[in-house]
Amino acid sequence: MVAAPDADHSLLNPTGHVRRRLALDRAVRWLLLLAFAAVLFPLLDMVYWISARAVPAFTWGTFTENQVGLGGGLHAMIIGTLFLIGIATAFAVGIGVVSGMYTAEYAPPAVAHSARVIGNVLAGVPAIVIGYFGYYALVLYTHWGYNSLAGGIALGVFMVPFVFRTTDIGFAAVPRAQREATLALGARRSQYLARVAFPIALPTMLSGVFLAMAIGLGETAPLIYTAGWSSSTVTGLLQPTSYLTGAIWNFYDFPSTEGSFLTLAFQAAFLLIVISLTVNIAIQVIADRYRRRLRGLFQ
Amino acid sequence: MTDTVPVGPPIIEVRNLKVGASERTILDDVTLDVFDRQVTAVIGPSGSGKTTFIRTLNRMVETTPGLRVEGSIRYQGQDIHDPRVNPVLLRQRIGMVFQRPAVFPMSIYNNVVFGLRLNGTDPSEFDRIVGHSLERAGLLKELQGNLDRPAFELSGGQQQRLCIARALAVKPRVLLMDEPTGSLDPISTQRVEETVEELRREIAIVIVTHSIAQAARVSDRTAYFYQGRLVEVAPTEVLFERPTQKLTEEYITGRFG
Ligand SMILES: Nc1ncnc2c1ncn2[C@@H]1O[C@H](COP(=O)(O)OP(=O)(O)OP(=O)(O)O)[C@@H](O)[C@H]1O
Ligand SMILES: [Mg+2]
Repeated sequence: MVAAPDADHSLLNPTGHVRRRLALDRAVRWLLLLAFAAVLFPLLDMVYWISARAVPAFTWGTFTENQVGLGGGLHAMIIGTLFLIGIATAFAVGIGVVSGMYTAEYAPPAVAHSARVIGNVLAGVPAIVIGYFGYYALVLYTHWGYNSLAGGIALGVFMVPFVFRTTDIGFAAVPRAQREATLALGARRSQYLARVAFPIALPTMLSGVFLAMAIGLGETAPLIYTAGWSSSTVTGLLQPTSYLTGAIWNFYDFPSTEGSFLTLAFQAAFLLIVISLTVNIAIQVIADRYRRRLRGLFQ
Repeated sequence: MTDTVPVGPPIIEVRNLKVGASERTILDDVTLDVFDRQVTAVIGPSGSGKTTFIRTLNRMVETTPGLRVEGSIRYQGQDIHDPRVNPVLLRQRIGMVFQRPAVFPMSIYNNVVFGLRLNGTDPSEFDRIVGHSLERAGLLKELQGNLDRPAFELSGGQQQRLCIARALAVKPRVLLMDEPTGSLDPISTQRVEETVEELRREIAIVIVTHSIAQAARVSDRTAYFYQGRLVEVAPTEVLFERPTQKLTEEYITGRFG
């Protein structure tokens, strides 16, 4: 015979304060789910809307041919986008990683503070302003005319704050004990940075770089006044180029909304979604692999 | 520890050492000799300045901004604060083990050779040194054949002994240990004490400990710190059996701390 629990010791029927807390818990969970659905469904709807128009029209020519008149393919724009994002990433990583490491490790506190403020300000500058600035500095002033390098750099300037911030955070988050242990073994600061801090900060930095790439891929504003436009495939840094976001921008509002011109815009959008999804999956895979190596460090 | 303590010139001579933070004094007028091939224990209540003291010996204090160091410290007769002295070299001679093991996010093997890579040791020597260091840290038998595993997979006690092996690999003349068994279980603690015992006649060891019993077990000489001052330093048996200072007696009989 099992004794009945005391009235206030029941494990099954919470009362009073506990009961109210559990009810609140459930309410919050439903609310979050609803908010999630509110974001997810329009997104899926949009992806479907684009895919339905883009996918059936894909042929080899979409990838291998250039746009001619109202038809043709996206070859020049695909190559242009990859080219621009490549230049931009090299630029953003170069500037962002060096300045982030300097801020986290070398800069006196006052300088580090100003660097972070400047980084935040730069992150808030509208992309179109960066585009205009690139136009004056790299298109007019240099007399190069519209060119891919100018486009890549303008896009890179747009991406720098992401890389800078995650580098700064990544290095600052290295446990103090790691630093002390390294220095106590007779390491110079540069050796500490290269051999211990860098591998630990790398996953955070990589996520910043990929996030910057994913966002940069979808940007048009820094490119409009810098990269120019060209219907043939780009062959050099100082040549103008076309790019996928430009295809959407140029083709979607074109007066003849019927036919292949509009289809090209949908296909460009579809390809951007695919590329950006790939980059995002790469973030997860790579960052996870590195994190697994660091398991135990941040406990 | 009752065998005779070899008497030689001190390997480290600390004279009138003073460490100050912005407003307060952390260490005041500490004068102490550390002898070669001996274990010197540093005891004292929490906040008495033990950690700060041993961090001055390899100039690790300098990595904490805002601390001022005055007074003189000589290592084998050389002033360690001489502007020509490179702290990097000093830290290769005077190794350090921390209270909480800080293994690096890499394999066990690479942890041990880390210091060797820094000082440019011939890589063909690595295997031999790794075996020898792990052996001396009492880890070789447990880990043999698993040296490629990530160091994070080791238990806390194994990680601490790995840190000791890593410090020993660069052949320091002095090993500073800050509460090396502070976070370890009794068996791991015993292993670490055995390691100290083995090294005892080869190098100089300075060990900070909160355990009076541990100081009695492993050390030749014991220094008692209280509120930033060195109250008393004497051969361990003397300090524990016939302390000359009332403060020391109160501490070791457990009336406080
Ligand atoms: N960077 C610092 N700035 C200001 N005060 C400090 C600093 N480092 C240590 N102190 C102070 O100096 C005193 C001695 O600290 P220390 O860590 O050397 O003590 P301890 O004897 O090792 O203590 P425990 O046994 O708790 O480890 C403490 O009161 C501490 O707050
Ligand atoms: Mg301490």
